[in-house]
Amino acid sequence: MLKYLARRVGSSLFALWVITIIVFLLTHLSGNPVDALLPDDATKQQIDAFIRDWGLDKPLWQQYLTFLGNAVQGDFGTSLKWPGEDAMGFVLARMPATLQLGGIAILISLVVALPLGVAAAVYKGSPVDNGAQMFALLGQSIPNFWLGIVLIWVFSVWLGWLPTSGTGTFAHAILPAIAIAWFQVSALARLTRSAMLEVLDAEYIKLARVKGVGEFSVVWKHALRNAAVVPLTYFGILAASILTGSVVIETVFSWPGMGWVAIEAIRGRDFPVVQAVIVAYAVIYMISNLVVDLLYVAIDPRIRND
Amino acid sequence: MIHKKTTFTSKSKTALASLLLAGTILTGGMSTAATAQDKVVVAVSPLGADSNLYWTTTGAFIFPSMQTLVGNSAETGKYDNSQLAESWEHNEDFTSWTFKLHPNAVFSDDWGPVTSADVVHSFEIHTGDDAKLSGISALKETTLTAIDDHTVRFDLPTPDPDFLFSHAGRGSLVIYSKAQFDAEGMEGYEAAPAGSGPFKYEGRDVGQSMTFSSIKDHWSGASPEFDEIEFRWVSEPSTRLAMLAAGEAHAVTLPRDLRDDAAEAGETVLSSSAGAMQSTMLFTGKFMKPEAEETRDATSYAWADARVREAVNRALDRDGILEVLYGEGVEALPVYTMDPRFPGYSQELADRFDEDYGYDPEKAMALLKEAGYPEAFDNAAIPLVVTSLAGNPEFAQMAELVQAYLDVVGIETEMREQDWATGNTAIRGFTADFVTPMRNAPVRPAALGVQIFFTEHASPHLDLGDPEINALGGELLTETDPEKRDAILNEMFTSIYESYAHIPMAAVPATVVVSSDLVEGWTFPGSTSSGLSHFELIDLK
Amino acid sequence: MTDLSVKRASALRLWLRLRSLPLIPIVILLTVFIIPAFFAEYIAPHDPYVPNLRARLQPPVGFGGTWEYMLGTDRLGRDILSRILHGSWYVLSVSLIGITVGVVVGTTLGLIAGYARGWFDGLVMRLVDISLALPAMLLALALAAAIGASFLSVVIVVGFALWAYFARQVRAEVLLLRKSDFVARSQVAGSSHIRILFRHILPNVLNTIVVLATLQVGIAIMLDASLSFLGIGIPRPTPTWGLLVSDGRDFIATDWWISFFPGLAILLTVMSANMLGDWLREQLDPRQRQV
Repeated sequence: MLKYLARRVGSSLFALWVITIIVFLLTHLSGNPVDALLPDDATKQQIDAFIRDWGLDKPLWQQYLTFLGNAVQGDFGTSLKWPGEDAMGFVLARMPATLQLGGIAILISLVVALPLGVAAAVYKGSPVDNGAQMFALLGQSIPNFWLGIVLIWVFSVWLGWLPTSGTGTFAHAILPAIAIAWFQVSALARLTRSAMLEVLDAEYIKLARVKGVGEFSVVWKHALRNAAVVPLTYFGILAASILTGSVVIETVFSWPGMGWVAIEAIRGRDFPVVQAVIVAYAVIYMISNLVVDLLYVAIDPRIRND
Repeated sequence: MIHKKTTFTSKSKTALASLLLAGTILTGGMSTAATAQDKVVVAVSPLGADSNLYWTTTGAFIFPSMQTLVGNSAETGKYDNSQLAESWEHNEDFTSWTFKLHPNAVFSDDWGPVTSADVVHSFEIHTGDDAKLSGISALKETTLTAIDDHTVRFDLPTPDPDFLFSHAGRGSLVIYSKAQFDAEGMEGYEAAPAGSGPFKYEGRDVGQSMTFSSIKDHWSGASPEFDEIEFRWVSEPSTRLAMLAAGEAHAVTLPRDLRDDAAEAGETVLSSSAGAMQSTMLFTGKFMKPEAEETRDATSYAWADARVREAVNRALDRDGILEVLYGEGVEALPVYTMDPRFPGYSQELADRFDEDYGYDPEKAMALLKEAGYPEAFDNAAIPLVVTSLAGNPEFAQMAELVQAYLDVVGIETEMREQDWATGNTAIRGFTADFVTPMRNAPVRPAALGVQIFFTEHASPHLDLGDPEINALGGELLTETDPEKRDAILNEMFTSIYESYAHIPMAAVPATVVVSSDLVEGWTFPGSTSSGLSHFELIDLK
Repeated sequence: MTDLSVKRASALRLWLRLRSLPLIPIVILLTVFIIPAFFAEYIAPHDPYVPNLRARLQPPVGFGGTWEYMLGTDRLGRDILSRILHGSWYVLSVSLIGITVGVVVGTTLGLIAGYARGWFDGLVMRLVDISLALPAMLLALALAAAIGASFLSVVIVVGFALWAYFARQVRAEVLLLRKSDFVARSQVAGSSHIRILFRHILPNVLNTIVVLATLQVGIAIMLDASLSFLGIGIPRPTPTWGLLVSDGRDFIATDWWISFFPGLAILLTVMSANMLGDWLREQLDPRQRQV
């Protein structure tokens, strides 16, 4: 188990390292922070001073090594766009907002998708099945920013139930979380449905039925407990997709999370923060995958050998 | 004519959509609205003011807690003494400017009176290495002397009749408290900078919002009707409109079409009392440089040919374009950076504008034919930049419309979707080979603007490369006689105008949409970069 | 394999499958997506690019509009219907080319990794990790800043976002297949690795690829839309659906038709593609069918 863990952490670190190179090259190819951060009428001296102060006149490889050397010690430099802010600290300060949003989104998608999937499986081929699948598909077929804006108008403006944007209370998180979650419902419901179908066919369920256990109990207690493991495998992709979705949705709802930071930093060519935020995204993704895999190994030891 | 004072308009509720919108203000307003009298919420697109160290920003947003030396009149935009300077004078050749501070001006939080020492201290930090402010280059070369406790003098190396501009709405120098710095250092500024304005800094949520509280018995006599003002940075225009409709915001900035929608739904559109912004599309690449042929391939740009440039201008139906992009209050602009408020304004050019730049597709096609377009050009296609800049959501549509009109007369175009920084990189690296939208906000004094955008003197990368205009610009740098300056500027504008050296677009007031249920009115001059100021004048119902 | 009875049996099976062909999604895909993509020039009532400033913001028929602009006009007076029709070509090409890039790269790497194992397998799996851990949206932003937003950059992003799923899936199937009898027999018979891979293994994973690719159409279209939202999609004035929805998003509460109809086109296309994908999966994937 420990050896497995070490190998996983090692390969994750390798992946992180490659990611920093990709991002470093891409951002440094994309022009100079000078042009995003200095005004139109900046003088030559201002520009030169800026470039010197931030070491942007050094060769690229040297800039990268400096960055890497500091990064392994946890120092990603100071933000160019938000003066005085420590790049990683700035990103980490916004991480809870994104995780909170992501967490609520996952919760919503589970709460919606599991019953949908179960219902679809139990009433396979019936209108319930079709309806559930249609509802799930709908979320995958609407551009999420559009859905977000429609939600704002319906629930905040016309009905007046929830705040339009920003952060503060739990109510603020509901609309953006729905806008992110609906996209996931389809895949989750589908997985739940097929897992349920498989389990409902299994011998011990048949046995339970024969023994006279109530249908409700069969479905919700016995079958779902076993079928719920399957959607778990999807958790890694779910996490990635929710993080990606957050980039767009945070903009629509002015949600002060990492997605917002990422967009602002890339537009502002704020290299230190761009690096920090992408590494942070990658780490979240990797940790969630690692957790899933470990859970998996714990459940099914055979996988360890693969 | 740009002075045109536009009062707010309030249209009646008509369309189905507006009924929906209006209805919701009644219902939605109750649940989430801030209580009107306590707190005013202003939602604007992010202004890039994410630092309490103002000089490290580009000066896009002056905190209402901070003050500059010179004010702008709310009604006219003219310089006045509503900020820290009570009066000022200059010597004959505009190289020495003396400001007398209001004797009763004080900083918030008991940091004491505003004195010359504070001005000197602020000047030092604003001209330091980490300063990024727009217009700061002018300050860097000056020396500042404290004459007495309430008098300071700036000595300039070259004459600058427009020196007040950088001290007013442009905000190249805002006054921080030296006492606070001595006691708390830079950390004090970072945590809560004390200012002398009618509001006190309360706090910020980076990238989200800033809050200020009103000061009771402010030294200037300003007394806001509300206790608190919060600025919310919201990048989606429709989210901002939703906030207004839901009663979460009192005032929001909106792009043109949404403004109309809001007005139809019964909200109030307020325009600044003076023109706040000029927009244009600029040909780039020093295309008028005579030696361009040897140094670079500038002449292969289609727009190096004056006939093509005229054709481009002639192909555009400006009335239609400006109506779509800006709507009410917009004025045609004969020459970008020329403004009736400043010297060099030529009424003659304004009068001739229709004749010389008017919509005439046939003429455009004839000109192109004469120039041998497109066969005679290596790069016949004109790259149009599609970009968005905070505060100018119309830039993308501007490129789209221009393309459509150019297409009609047979001018080939190619769209370049790029962010603002990418365009700047190309311009600064002298590799720009496109036609890009540009803005001038707040409208700079003509003598400053023309140097920045058309000559090599203020920012060398935005330069037509025309020796004559550059020579005139050089003269302007040292000339102090107002009449002669006016003549030089006039000559520059005429030259730019007659050579069709750019595609002038519009002079536009700043607009803000306020909730008609909560806000009675608000007069602001449009003299700052964001267009907004004078928040203490927001008049609540 | 030339036995007639087998042929008849498979013909019967084909017939059975065709009978369960999901007609509605196919018809929708054809009318909304595929036919317009190729014939927009002949169908579209107006030029999708030329503004008509006298006909700005016309509502659709039934909401006060006229038949001339059936689905209304946008802020510049361009016909929404014509723009949707012309846009379908770009949506189709971005998703098809993007998915093809993803399929080719993903399948090739997945095939070789699963077959060869060893260090190459390790490398590919690390690349998959990297690709999945780097949010496509952020990569797109950085890429657009570096090389500018263009058709190419969008295709690269779509391909990048999708290849890892193919690689992972294909590799997993190859791992199972390489232990199977017929691969072992070929190896004994002295077939070259390339021959085994492409003649024996590839045909067996083809089903998976087809199913996955159909299901990815939706993801590709959504990605394209999100990129347009962030201002890094295919540049204007190209009326890709994502841009149309994104351009109209400010007016959802008032001039709703600007974004509604392009959104509907996306909705119908993505839903149909997914339903078709589901159907294909049921037909082609025996394990799924048993379920």
